[in-house]
Amino acid sequence: MTEIAYYPGCVSRATGREYDISTRSVAKALGIELIELEDWSCCGATHVPSEALAVGLAARNLTQSTLPVMTTCSICYSNLRTAILRLEDNGMRARVNSVLERKYAGARVMHVVEMLSEALKGREIPIKLNGIKVSPYYGCLLTRPGSGIDSPEHPRILEDLVRGLGAEPVESPLKMLCCGGPIFMPREEAALESTYHIIKSAKRSGADAIMAVCPLCHLMLDAKQGAIEKRYGLDLRMPVLYVTQLVGIALGLGPEDLALEMNSVSPLPLLEKVYQSIAKE
Amino acid sequence: MDDAAFTDEVIRLAGDEIRTCIQCGTCSSSCSTAHLMDNSIRRLIRLVLEGRRDEALSSDSIWLCTSCLLCTVRCPRGIRPKAVVSALRQIYEREGLRNRDEAFERIFMDQIRNKGRISEVLLSAAYALRNPDATVPIMEMGIELITKGKVSLDPGTVKGMDEVRRIFEGLEND
Repeated sequence: MTEIAYYPGCVSRATGREYDISTRSVAKALGIELIELEDWSCCGATHVPSEALAVGLAARNLTQSTLPVMTTCSICYSNLRTAILRLEDNGMRARVNSVLERKYAGARVMHVVEMLSEALKGREIPIKLNGIKVSPYYGCLLTRPGSGIDSPEHPRILEDLVRGLGAEPVESPLKMLCCGGPIFMPREEAALESTYHIIKSAKRSGADAIMAVCPLCHLMLDAKQGAIEKRYGLDLRMPVLYVTQLVGIALGLGPEDLALEMNSVSPLPLLEKVYQSIAKE
Repeated sequence: MDDAAFTDEVIRLAGDEIRTCIQCGTCSSSCSTAHLMDNSIRRLIRLVLEGRRDEALSSDSIWLCTSCLLCTVRCPRGIRPKAVVSALRQIYEREGLRNRDEAFERIFMDQIRNKGRISEVLLSAAYALRNPDATVPIMEMGIELITKGKVSLDPGTVKGMDEVRRIFEGLEND
């Protein structure tokens, strides 16, 4: 069994619960043992203006395991990666190490997308998602800063993953536009405008569902979809599934394992389509 | 802080590369909220380099940045415009300037400082208390999330709070 350290991040306990639940279920099904970091703390998200402090907060989590650290949140992932890059600087490393309990001496992080892509390679998919059109939504921080999971300009890791499940990835021009989530509390209008355009763009490209890889993106696209429909006076009803939920469906896991009932926009029409296509075969 | 010291301080916090800015505007044209800004990110960097402290600090643009890092990925000079924005936010707070965006950041940081983790409910409540006009959208959101069982007051406890406090004390004003 492969062991991977798991950094769930703050939202896994609240708005991103279905992401956490489905991540644990899918890892189990794939024979991966997730070992939760013993005493993880917040990475600082996008709200810590002091770079040294942000690096320090991220580094505290990185020193808690010698295993590769996996996170499901693109903000956590980007912050942990940025910290690793900044900690290459000896001055920064010395400053940060002077306040850390366990000293930082290098670390490896991965996003759950990386974990899944790796584990699904060459694996038989029990429930092929044939006939389903999925708009893979990268959002901003999965690929930024660069030199991480995939190209920050022309990535394809999510399209490959969707294709591997038997579904068809559709191309949405706004797949990498920031959802606006980081400023949604003080600047709701600005944030909702971005989210609105992202959902519209996915719809225009013919998607049956959007695939999200970050809990803040998901909150904006799914939980806020009702508010967007109200504000813009339209009917969107676009299911937004976490990557782990979509993979879980293809692996034959049940709705409870994937916490599908926790999504705001019901993924039921999508499931029906999957089962209809299986029945036809 | 005078104007020259202001430029030096931003550069100390966000990197020497800033001095090499060629004002090409790649950052602004990559920005997802550029259309809402008073100063484009390109112009903000110019204001910093020219030591136009008050103009830079009073710009709404520093609060409209979503930290998406596209500018940082694309800058041909290796400048990290998001780091410039962060430096300006830091100086803003340090100088005792206050607004709703800065209040949100302060509440967010205080939660990490005191608990080590963020509770989204407490974060939203604390923010709504200071900004009553944000109450309605926050309540609407809350109702949606409660129905789905996605509201929790307890994000879990961090045992190593001494270490978290040390990180703040040692690095916050660095």
